[in-house]
Amino acid sequence: MFTLIRDLSKVRKLIDLDKPTMRKSLSIRHCDAGSCNGCEHELSLLSSPCYDFQRYGLSIVASPRHADVLLVTGTVTRTMREPLLRAYSSMPEPRKVVALGDCAIDGAVLGDNDIIIGAVEEILPVDLTIRGCPPSPDQVIDGMLELLATLGPK
Amino acid sequence: MSNTKVSTYRERVEYLIGNSMRFAGLYGTGQGQSVASVFVDQSGKAMLELCEVVDAKVPSIVDIVPAAQWDEREAHDLYGIVFEGHEPLRPLVNHDSRLEKWTVATTGGDVYQVAVGPTHAGIIESGHFRFHVVGDRILHLDTRLFYKHRGLEKASETKDLTSGIEYVKRACMACSVANGLSYAHACEVILGLRPSMELRRVRTILLELERLWNHLNDLAQGCAGVGMAVGNAAFCYLVEQARQINNKVSGHRFLAGSIRVGASSISVDSQELEVLSGLLSEMRTSVESHWRELTFNSSFQDRLQGVGILNREKALKLGIVGPCARASGIIQDARNGCDWLAYDDFQPVLTREGNGDVKSRFEQRIEELWQTFDLLDGLLSRPISPANCDPTGVPAPVGVGIVEGARGQTTCVVESNGASIGRLHLRSASYANWPGVACCSVGNLLPDFPLINKSFELCYACVDR
Repeated sequence: MFTLIRDLSKVRKLIDLDKPTMRKSLSIRHCDAGSCNGCEHELSLLSSPCYDFQRYGLSIVASPRHADVLLVTGTVTRTMREPLLRAYSSMPEPRKVVALGDCAIDGAVLGDNDIIIGAVEEILPVDLTIRGCPPSPDQVIDGMLELLATLGPK
Repeated sequence: MSNTKVSTYRERVEYLIGNSMRFAGLYGTGQGQSVASVFVDQSGKAMLELCEVVDAKVPSIVDIVPAAQWDEREAHDLYGIVFEGHEPLRPLVNHDSRLEKWTVATTGGDVYQVAVGPTHAGIIESGHFRFHVVGDRILHLDTRLFYKHRGLEKASETKDLTSGIEYVKRACMACSVANGLSYAHACEVILGLRPSMELRRVRTILLELERLWNHLNDLAQGCAGVGMAVGNAAFCYLVEQARQINNKVSGHRFLAGSIRVGASSISVDSQELEVLSGLLSEMRTSVESHWRELTFNSSFQDRLQGVGILNREKALKLGIVGPCARASGIIQDARNGCDWLAYDDFQPVLTREGNGDVKSRFEQRIEELWQTFDLLDGLLSRPISPANCDPTGVPAPVGVGIVEGARGQTTCVVESNGASIGRLHLRSASYANWPGVACCSVGNLLPDFPLINKSFELCYACVDR
């Protein structure tokens, strides 16, 4: 255990992440509306030592009831429409929606049009889009900070 | 492809299973005129067994091949084919039906249901789990996936063979190389092409790089599953390193777009090669050190042993593939004997005490990681240049590609219609393994389910398609 902790602290020194300048926070609820799994795999590295997105006050929360932001990945399938709307309606106001990745932004890139609704925008008001296929963890953080900068006291 | 003139479809299937052929998928063809089942022999050669649909019915084979359960349910939902003898034929892809139709009703006084999903408390793909529990003990689990069914197979029909790879790529980012390769190989069989030695080498490198980041990710998730943040962070760092390596090799962190039908445009010069080899050898040292730490950490080990046991018999019956099958003592790996990739003397490894529990599944991945590092070491001995296929002069109407991806065997069948796709069927390793998760969770504690689930670490995306 000690070796593991020592190795990690070496890694942290090596990466030497910037200190954040804003003192704000956002609680994020993730919802996969029909993704290919790529956005999820990049998102799961956000809390890794290389990105440590918690230092900006960003965190993934376990319930939409706790969330400020609904982070939606993937093209919206008909089957995921209802769960997505339910997650959104469970969130306290004010609430924001972020469409993450090209599928969530452009809708059905490929696939059967009878069973795909398309872009997140089709069913929810989108406040921010983060492009990429998938967006890298850096791009996700940049996007979320952009959103954070527009919120609360300057 | 053989038709069922001489004997009945069921007799043929019984014969094949009795002669050591493995089931590798079943699907409806055309507009549902027939059902095709895929069987693979010991050397990895695939054959299709066809059965004509008469009055929207075919005989079921689930009693002979329990692994065909999901396939038959899917073919019923998508093509309306009724599988006689498959009772109850519950919906799989179709989500319109009522709860009683797809789940088992609870029985017993103290039994209650716990419904989880489709959206989850973390960064997890969408899928629904319905547990029957008494206290914390799981009695039964129904998994309901296909929330993300995008109809990729259907949408690919009539597209030309070369561009069809885009649909396969969209199925799943974590398995983009394995799925892409199985499709590319199927198309090359149809087009009468054989990959050159250089193309075999570059594809094998890509496949092993995909295994590398996936196995590292599985170990990171395993640590998260027992709540060991420091282990998770350490392995997540290595996953990031692996993605950067992928980016250096292919220009994409998940190697997406690196597999093309008939060719590869990837090139790595000797200078870049030296950097890569250095990074990989550093990574190996880190994995060795981290794993040693985990091996001697009793609070980590205590959570793994004896949990989520999938014994050999059940794993064989359910047709489990990949590291999860090998962790249950099944020596089966599609890399062994594969003559169109660069796995010349490859022999599968088995972890020492593989009894099919969570512990053996993690240990199996570690054993395979050493193999992957060794393979990459050998394959990256010289610069990589763009490569092509050579014509064999023998085109075929149907191609089957079988690839051992990180999660196990992926099978892709392509039926051609001239130069375009008539029917595309992709059966990923996750598709084969999901029934195993449900099976081995029974008798375990509900709080251990996330760990059991992570010890399989299956995709939803390439199952749903």
